Amino acid sequence: MLETANSRSLYDFLWPAVAAVMVTTAIAAIFLLAPTEETMGAAQRIVYIHVSVAWMGLASFVLMAVTGGIYLFRRDLAWDHWSRAALEIGWLCCSLTLATGSLWAHAAWNTWWTWDPRLTTAFVLWAMYSAALVLRSGVEDPHRRARMGAIVAIVGVLDVPLVVMATRWFRGIHPKSPHMEPTMRLVLLISVVCFTVFFAMLLLLRRSQLRVADMLEDLQAQAEA
Amino acid sequence: MQYKKLYWMISKDLLSECRSLRVWPAMLLLGVVVALMFAMQTDLPPDGLRRIVGGLLWLTIFFAGTLALDRSFAAEREDGCWEGLLCYPVSPTCIYLAKLIVNVVALAALECVLIPLFAILTDVPLLAHPGPVIAVAVLENLGLAAVGTLLSAVANTGRQSSYLLPLLVLPTVIPLVLGAAEATRLAVEHDFGPAWWRWVQLLAAFAIVFITAGIVLFEFAVEE
Repeated sequence: MLETANSRSLYDFLWPAVAAVMVTTAIAAIFLLAPTEETMGAAQRIVYIHVSVAWMGLASFVLMAVTGGIYLFRRDLAWDHWSRAALEIGWLCCSLTLATGSLWAHAAWNTWWTWDPRLTTAFVLWAMYSAALVLRSGVEDPHRRARMGAIVAIVGVLDVPLVVMATRWFRGIHPKSPHMEPTMRLVLLISVVCFTVFFAMLLLLRRSQLRVADMLEDLQAQAEA
Repeated sequence: MQYKKLYWMISKDLLSECRSLRVWPAMLLLGVVVALMFAMQTDLPPDGLRRIVGGLLWLTIFFAGTLALDRSFAAEREDGCWEGLLCYPVSPTCIYLAKLIVNVVALAALECVLIPLFAILTDVPLLAHPGPVIAVAVLENLGLAAVGTLLSAVANTGRQSSYLLPLLVLPTVIPLVLGAAEATRLAVEHDFGPAWWRWVQLLAAFAIVFITAGIVLFEFAVEE
C-alpha cells in the first residue's frame, strides 16, 4: 500500500512536469523557430497545432476501436478504461481540430467552413465521438456500457475510409502535400511529437482515473453488501 | 431450417405492423411533411433543382426512415417481448437479418411514396430512367438498414433511445447520403459513365461492410 502511495506521488509529479516541458517546447518552436510564411503570415502557425491535434484525434479513434474490440473478446473492464479515455481525449482533439481548422480556413480561403474532405471527415469523427459520449452517459451497467461503446467505436472506424472516399470524390480543396521548407517541417515534427506525448499522458492519467473510480465503486458495493 | 425461422420472424414483424399501424403511417407522414417543406424552400431554376433534388430526397428518407429503425427494438422492449425474442431458438444473426429485412421493406415503402412525390413537387424527372434510381434505392436501403438495425439495438439499451439513434446513425451514413445523392443527380442528368458507377460501388461497399459488421457485432449488442 505504502509502495503504491509512493509511486503514485512520483507519477503525479513526473507526468505534469514532462507535459509542461513538451508543451513549452512545442510552443517555443512554433513561435520562435518556425519562419513566418510569406502569403498567410503568422496565421500559418496554426497548422502546427492543427496537424498535431488532428493526428491525435484520428489515432484516439483507432485506439478506441481496437481496445473496444479487445474488450468484446476478453471482457476485462481494463480495456474499456483505455477505450473510454481514448474517446474523451479523441473528442477533445477533434474539437480542437475543427476549431483550428476553421481559423486556418478563414485565413487561407476567406471562409470559416468548407465541405472539404478532411474537414468533413473531422466533423464526422467529432459527431461520432459526441454520440458515443452521449451513449455512454445513458448506460449504468459498466459491462453493458463497455459493449455498446465498443460496437459504436468499431462501426465508426469502419466508416472512416468510406467517409474519406465519399468526401474526396464529392469535392476537395484541402492542400494534399503542402510545400514546406525544412525548418517548417522540423517544427511540424517537433510539434506533432510534443503534442502526441502530451495527449498520451492525458490519456494515461484519464485511464488511471477511470480505473481508480471503478475500484472505488467496487469497494463501496462490497461495503454496502 | 434457419431460413424458415427467418421467414417467420419477418412475418411476425410485418404482421404486427400491419395490424397495429404504429410506425409506418407516422414515418410516411413525416416524409411527406419534410418533402413539402423542402419543396417550399427550394425556389430554384430547373438546373439548380436537378443538382440538389437527390440530396433533399435522400435526406428526407433518412430522417423519416430513422423512425422505423428506432422502432425495430423499442417496440419489442415496450411490449415486454425482448426477453421472449432472445429465448427463441434462433441465432442473433437470424434476428438481425429479420429486423434488417423488415427495415428494408419499410424504407422501400417510404421511397414508393417519396420518389414520385419529389418528382411532382420539383418537376425533376426522377423516374425518367427508373432502373438506375431503383438500383441506388436498393443499395441505399441495404446500407441504411444495416447500420440502423445494429445501432438501434445499441441505442435501445440506454435511457435515451429515441434521440440517440439519429445521433448515432446520421454521422455514420454520411457516405451513403453523398453516394445516393450524387448517383441520383447523375441518373437525372442521364450520365451513367464511370462517375455514376463509382458512386454505386461506394453504396455497394457500404452495404457489404455494414451487413457483415452487423452480423458479427449484433450478438454483442443483444447480450443481456
